[in-house]
Amino acid sequence: MTDNRARTDSRARTEDHRGDRAVFSVRNLWKVFGPRADRVPGSAAADLSAAELRERTGCTAAVRDVSFDVRKGEVFVVMGLSGSGKSTLVRCLTRLIEPTSGSLAIDGEDVLAMDRARLRELRRRRAAMVFQHFGLLPHRTVLDNVAYGLEIQGVAKAERRARAAEMVAKVGLEGLEGRRPGQLSGGQQQRVGLARALAVDPEVLLFDEPFSALDPLIRRDMQQEVIRLHREEGRTMVFITHDLSEALRLGDRIALMRDGRIVQLGTPEEIVGSPADDYVREFVRDVAREQVITVRSAMRPADIGESETGPALAPSATVSEAIEAVARSGDPAARVMSDGKLLGVVDHEALLGVVAGTAEEPVGPRDPGAPTGRGVAA
Amino acid sequence: MSAGTVGATAAPRGLPARGLVRHRGLVKLVLLAVAAAALVPYANSQWHSGTWPAALTVDLTEPLTRTSDWIIDNRDRHPLFLYFFGHISNTVVLSVRAVYLVLLALGWAGVTAAAGLIAWRVAGVRLALTAAAAFALCGLLGMWVPTMQSLALMVVAVLASVVLGALLGLAAGLSDRVYRALRPVLDTMQVLPAFAYLLPVVLVFGIGVPAAVLATVVYAAPPMTRLTALGLRNADGGVMEAVTSLGATARQRLLTARLPLARRELLLGLNQTIMMALSMAVIASMIGAGGLGDRVYQALSSVDVGAALAAGIPIVLLAVVLDRVTAAAGERIGAEPAGPALLRGRRGWAVTGAGAALVAVAARSLGHQAWPDSWVVAIARPVNTAKDWMVDHLYTGVPVVGGTADWAAHFTRWVLDPVRDGLLALPWWGALLVVAALAWLIGTWRTALTAVLALAAIGVLGVWKPSMDTLSQVLAAVAVTLVLGFAVGAAAARSPRLETLLRPVLDVCQTMPQFVYLIPVVALFSVGRAPAVAAAVVYALPAVVRITTQGLRQVDPGALEAARSMGATGWQQLRQVQLPLARPALLLAVNQGVVLVLAVVIIGGLVGGGALGYDVVAGLARGDLATGLVAGAAIVCLGLVLDRVTQPTTRRRMGKEA
Repeated sequence: MTDNRARTDSRARTEDHRGDRAVFSVRNLWKVFGPRADRVPGSAAADLSAAELRERTGCTAAVRDVSFDVRKGEVFVVMGLSGSGKSTLVRCLTRLIEPTSGSLAIDGEDVLAMDRARLRELRRRRAAMVFQHFGLLPHRTVLDNVAYGLEIQGVAKAERRARAAEMVAKVGLEGLEGRRPGQLSGGQQQRVGLARALAVDPEVLLFDEPFSALDPLIRRDMQQEVIRLHREEGRTMVFITHDLSEALRLGDRIALMRDGRIVQLGTPEEIVGSPADDYVREFVRDVAREQVITVRSAMRPADIGESETGPALAPSATVSEAIEAVARSGDPAARVMSDGKLLGVVDHEALLGVVAGTAEEPVGPRDPGAPTGRGVAA
Repeated sequence: MSAGTVGATAAPRGLPARGLVRHRGLVKLVLLAVAAAALVPYANSQWHSGTWPAALTVDLTEPLTRTSDWIIDNRDRHPLFLYFFGHISNTVVLSVRAVYLVLLALGWAGVTAAAGLIAWRVAGVRLALTAAAAFALCGLLGMWVPTMQSLALMVVAVLASVVLGALLGLAAGLSDRVYRALRPVLDTMQVLPAFAYLLPVVLVFGIGVPAAVLATVVYAAPPMTRLTALGLRNADGGVMEAVTSLGATARQRLLTARLPLARRELLLGLNQTIMMALSMAVIASMIGAGGLGDRVYQALSSVDVGAALAAGIPIVLLAVVLDRVTAAAGERIGAEPAGPALLRGRRGWAVTGAGAALVAVAARSLGHQAWPDSWVVAIARPVNTAKDWMVDHLYTGVPVVGGTADWAAHFTRWVLDPVRDGLLALPWWGALLVVAALAWLIGTWRTALTAVLALAAIGVLGVWKPSMDTLSQVLAAVAVTLVLGFAVGAAAARSPRLETLLRPVLDVCQTMPQFVYLIPVVALFSVGRAPAVAAAVVYALPAVVRITTQGLRQVDPGALEAARSMGATGWQQLRQVQLPLARPALLLAVNQGVVLVLAVVIIGGLVGGGALGYDVVAGLARGDLATGLVAGAAIVCLGLVLDRVTQPTTRRRMGKEA
């Protein structure tokens, strides 16, 4: 998957990837709140800053001209500070919030053209959501909360209870089936929320800042849980967060939003290694780069004689793993090997350069002649 | 909506905003003065000053009498009555009768057991014992039959109120348009004294059980409507969104999420509806309700305090039990089911029903259906003996302090009479100006206009004099209530121990129907205007104390701590921090005090309070509906005036709805 990288581009247009089926395909999506909101996209007002737009039209553009694809099986993270439009964006995907303009397709089917029944069907079976504040029904037990999605689909009681019990076990809440949400801790409640979403066996899971309201330790637990689930089931996930470390830990690809726009879309390594503009650079400044950047981007071609010695690493190994390997072996450099083929080497200099942040430019295999990541953003 | 946003935006601005308000207040007063300068000389030259000019009144007696006569003549003939009101009337009579027969068939043992088991099912074992004991006590006092009569009427009225209220509330909760249309109506109904509802229903249905039940329904349904709408509208947005995101249909959203989420409000609405229904069912004894209220009413009209007490105690017991059981049911929501497993869930209801039936059958086979006469403890005579002793020893001539009757006489002579004379001496346009100024200062020009029009309507109806009499009693009672209430409230806010002591007293006081308050004051002060005022003070005091205490308590502890850290004394803290910050709560306390006082001052017409209340009572007693209806309309107007001049714009945010 990492071989197919989207090009970092200020417009965040992902290219079509042959072989990768897009689950969600979003093109030029706008959501504008306010009077006569539908006139804003495409007009002269579309390029105004948020404050100016509000002053001129009384409208707020929460999502501005956003395009991306969510590929099957990936964890797609949308990240941004509060007010950047990320929560609005994820709600637009199932039309919990009606987009103002643009196009939106799930498995090639136009979501905006769906009638009520079809849309309900989408929400019932194809995309399930996990919310920041859980959204559990306080008067129902854990089991009945988990079974709720099946209940409104009309699944018979015995069957839905059995399915719900299975999900409750899957998220590690056995023995708490009879409790009410009010009697659970925040982490447990979110596990219920997760189980409720899983119970309907959706094609895509949407997470809206699911762990923001939790304690840091529990948050880490829950992130592990999501990683585990993803590894086991390979379900497509769209994950909204304002927490960079969470985004880097979970995301296969990250879309970074600011003021309703996607300012950069790429793998964690691309975001950290070659920020698209000063905003992104400022954002990722404190990240431990050696834990994100892989040796594939840090390596240089092997000189003669280097191909024989030094520990061997996979291209996807992180720089910090390489440092450990090099330090243990005592060799001056490690070899980056793929299928027994030497791709390059990483030496002390390259590794230290990544840690120090001086080796910013040569990140990622890039089309020859393509502009570097920096400075592209308008 | 506009009131809400005004309050929200004005509040955080703090001091500059207050300066602006003061400034604005000045502007309003100047405008009003200019208008007065232009209009008053004209009014003075056209009509005299002093009380409302006769030339500006409209005599409604004749058309009202004609209407009333027409209704009486056509009640058995006109299709409107035959096919609409007649059916309502018959249904009500049949339902009340049916419930009463069921209660009788259950017998005293069955009813007591049913009460205990139901309380157990919804509220736990302690309240079960309380409920059973309360019913037994009603029997012991020899009031079993009247209690059952009242209960039968209550059951029908509450069911109808809940159905009607919930349906309206559902509409208002789901449709903004209905909500906007209903809210002013509900707000107004909330401030009207119960007496105002009696005459219109009597006009249509005549005196009897249907009139009593319908008046009760009209009086008791609004809280159910209000709270249902509130509960539905305040459903947690996050939960509703989650439910939508799972693909629920509109119907599923309502049935599986919105309604269950509103359960607490629905039960609170039920609780309030029951309490209001009880209060009204007792008052409605004047229009044919029968039962406990009737016993109190009869006893009071012959100043038989003992008999009134014997009927009053069951009313209080009913009120306390009904209130506690429904409130406890509301508090239990969301908790683990408690109590014996046998009484949980649906099976619990089956067990409850079976248990009650079993006890009823058993008691019946033992010949215990009616409450045995030998078990009745007659308290009327000893109470009357005690009262006679009081009359002899406490009413007058007690050394140094005087006596209760003396106090009443002094209060009447030195407070009530001067205030009434002052109000009557005030030129009528002066009264209008004062009301306009007060209402405009505290609210908007709209509130001012409503208040002025309502006061003018009183004049036009030709009941200026009795209205000013009622108003004087209200003003005196409100003054006393506020002085006492703020003092006690401030003390309770500072001393947790006092608050703990007061809480159960306030709880009981706030659940008792208005009518009951008349009994002790008649015992203490005999009849007259002063006792009516005393009953009003006692009735309104708990609410004022409670709102004051809560308001002072809720003052931002950070601000208080800051004041303390700078070395402010207790008095300085109260005066400079707590009182200014608690201002909205204090204004609400004033408003509530006024509304509650008015309700009881009007009922005081039954114990010699005279004025508008007496007009209603007399109108009913003499079958002179015109007088009564006019007085009722004046009560409505007076209620509007008093509410509008004390209603801060933020009131609705402050918690009447909570």
